[in-house]
Amino acid sequence: MKKVVLPPESLTNEAIAARLTNAADENLKKGLINKRNLVYLELNGCSGNIISLLNGQNPSFEYTLNSLVDLRYSNSLMAAEGERASEKLMAVLDEDFILAVEGAVALKNNGLYNVIGSLDGQPLTGLQAATILGERASHILAVGACATHGGVSAAKPNPSESVSLQQVLLDREMIKLPGCPVNPDWFLGTLAHLLLYGEPETDNLGRPLMFYSTLIHDRCPRRPFFDRGIFAEKLGDKTCLFKLGCRGPVTRTDCPTRQWNGRVNWPIGDDTPCIGCSQFGFPDAMAPFISFDTTRVVKDE
Amino acid sequence: MSKRIVINPLTRISGFMEIEVTVDRNEIVDAKTTGNLFRGFEQMLVGRSPFDAVYFTQRICGICSAAHSMASSLALEDALAIEPLEQGRYLRDIIHCCEFLQNHIRHFYQYTAPDYVFIGENVLFQADHNDFRLPKNVNDRLSRHYFESLPISRSAHQMLAVLGGKAPHNHGVFIGGITTQATSEKIVQLDEILQTITAFIEEKMIPDVYDIARYYPEYFRMGGGYGNLLTFGSFNNYKELGTLYVDPLVSTPELEYPEPFDENKITEKIDYSWFKSKQNTYLPDETVPEPDRDKQKAYSWVKSPRYNGLPMEVGPLARLILSGAYENGISAMDRTIARALEAKKIADIMKTLLRKVVPGVDMQKKYELPEMATGRGLVDTTRGALGHWLKIQDRKLSFYQIITPSTWDFSPRDDKGFRGVAEQALIGAPVDDPDNPAEIGRILRSFDPCMSCATHVFSKGKQVKTIKVF
Repeated sequence: MKKVVLPPESLTNEAIAARLTNAADENLKKGLINKRNLVYLELNGCSGNIISLLNGQNPSFEYTLNSLVDLRYSNSLMAAEGERASEKLMAVLDEDFILAVEGAVALKNNGLYNVIGSLDGQPLTGLQAATILGERASHILAVGACATHGGVSAAKPNPSESVSLQQVLLDREMIKLPGCPVNPDWFLGTLAHLLLYGEPETDNLGRPLMFYSTLIHDRCPRRPFFDRGIFAEKLGDKTCLFKLGCRGPVTRTDCPTRQWNGRVNWPIGDDTPCIGCSQFGFPDAMAPFISFDTTRVVKDE
Repeated sequence: MSKRIVINPLTRISGFMEIEVTVDRNEIVDAKTTGNLFRGFEQMLVGRSPFDAVYFTQRICGICSAAHSMASSLALEDALAIEPLEQGRYLRDIIHCCEFLQNHIRHFYQYTAPDYVFIGENVLFQADHNDFRLPKNVNDRLSRHYFESLPISRSAHQMLAVLGGKAPHNHGVFIGGITTQATSEKIVQLDEILQTITAFIEEKMIPDVYDIARYYPEYFRMGGGYGNLLTFGSFNNYKELGTLYVDPLVSTPELEYPEPFDENKITEKIDYSWFKSKQNTYLPDETVPEPDRDKQKAYSWVKSPRYNGLPMEVGPLARLILSGAYENGISAMDRTIARALEAKKIADIMKTLLRKVVPGVDMQKKYELPEMATGRGLVDTTRGALGHWLKIQDRKLSFYQIITPSTWDFSPRDDKGFRGVAEQALIGAPVDDPDNPAEIGRILRSFDPCMSCATHVFSKGKQVKTIKVF
């Protein structure tokens, strides 16, 4: 479904994203976009980002597959299995490709906590795959919290010694799309931009500004309650969830306006605090997620 | 002459997995699946706020995250002695229904169908074998449904988000039911989407699975295994509605009728797992053993849960048989059919629950943590029986044990010589072309393995491959 943007052109992130999607669509019809190869690696994580990408609309996942990219490797979706699958992964090294990675890179036992396949009878670790493919890819997208900063896979005491993708590819620039999981629009919109105009403008942490520029708190529909000091005491309340532990004041995403799953809802709309799943440091720096001790003194109050 | 076949990665599952089989005269004579439930969640949870378990444990798995929010919420309700309102149960179970629907539809079309259906020329669908038997018109229809199913499974997650905030990794399931209140608008929103999903299941998914079964009939005789079945119960024990699906039951081939499930008969074994503890067999709430990767004989990070000493199959087929709704048999194809039939059953259950929902009921309270407590949450989820066992000390989590459905189905051997359920299911299966084996993947995928964690595989004599299970 194409979203119509009426003049004067809105400068909201949603309108910009819709325009980008429409432009990608039109250029494709004109034959201006050549499909490019996409390699989608799942490493040490829950494989929840690929599930989230299947939830994409405008563009949808099936549109992306048919019209934007040739998906050359995806553990969750490809028909091939075993070494044949790994060979397909390696074959792409001789071509131009965009690399998307979800999951953290497990370093323990030289990467053996996360083997993603085998090659010539030898295990292919996530660490090896990330390094080999990361060095050759034309662009890299780190998808979801585990890839951007270790995420839940690296939560203390971090038994698998998981790290972010950047930590094993120190010299490579990459676009970072934090989130647990990533919102499909953040990924597919970034991919569309990449195909149309090259890399999108990012902040100093590598996040595309069109999705990650603004604090949730600054656009939260419950902000008036915060400003007037009216706070929820339990989940299910309709007022500001700050004292229950809401991380909206430190988390930069467009969740308040974009929302989730076809814009039907989002965590604060569900009467629960934002747990900062899209902020670097999640989960440990965002814990506890929910605190009923609302009487504690908050210094800034 | 025997031949060793290794498949790594086994694609089109959630997470990573390796399988090693030995084939003798085109028949599987030995099998080792090694899944690993060791990203270390049980260690990570110690010291955290008990309330955080609900959102944290969902990150175990991206395709079945709501399942973990269910089990952890039940375990916390047990520990905090909280009985949810019946309205809370309805709404929470509706969220769980949404996950079943998302999961079953995706598992059938995106994970299973490419084993039997040639989906298209797209590079993603290039297969290793050539055993595609459907007539062109049938193949074309199923291949179209591969893509048509995507908006349908997506809308199942959309329903989940209507009540749960977002999916995957929802915010709605919590102690007491769900966090928000139902409204008339939400109820009709769910009802409309559910009608579309139900029609898709009835008109497309179920006929499609029977079409596959018609052209691949030998899979009714492959992948059977022990025939020991277990469910913790599913959509059961409502005050007014009674049991909509299945009560906690077990059966073995020796039993004429299923027996009531007794949670005290669950043990875990680590004889062939890379763990050490004072004893190799223990109760779930007794101990979380220490990892020991150098352990002799061990070949897997997965532990071996047993019921009354026996490996048990869990999942949609087990539930359908135990509830008396399916009698055809136990095989790879029966498992695949059961998943489609269960999708219909779940859609009907959700409709029933939706009718009982009353708008505006606030089921949340300001909860207080006890100094010390223990709790367990046992619930059947998409793939089968899921258990969380927790202990609270000084208002923090001091112990957390998780036994997932895929641990039941993909455990290694035990001290009594029993293979794991999926290992046993492979024994005796024919492999026509050992260089391009289609059969192994088809049998394993019939269990819907969920392997989103690091899994280590030992192959004979050599070190060591790794896989992910959760």
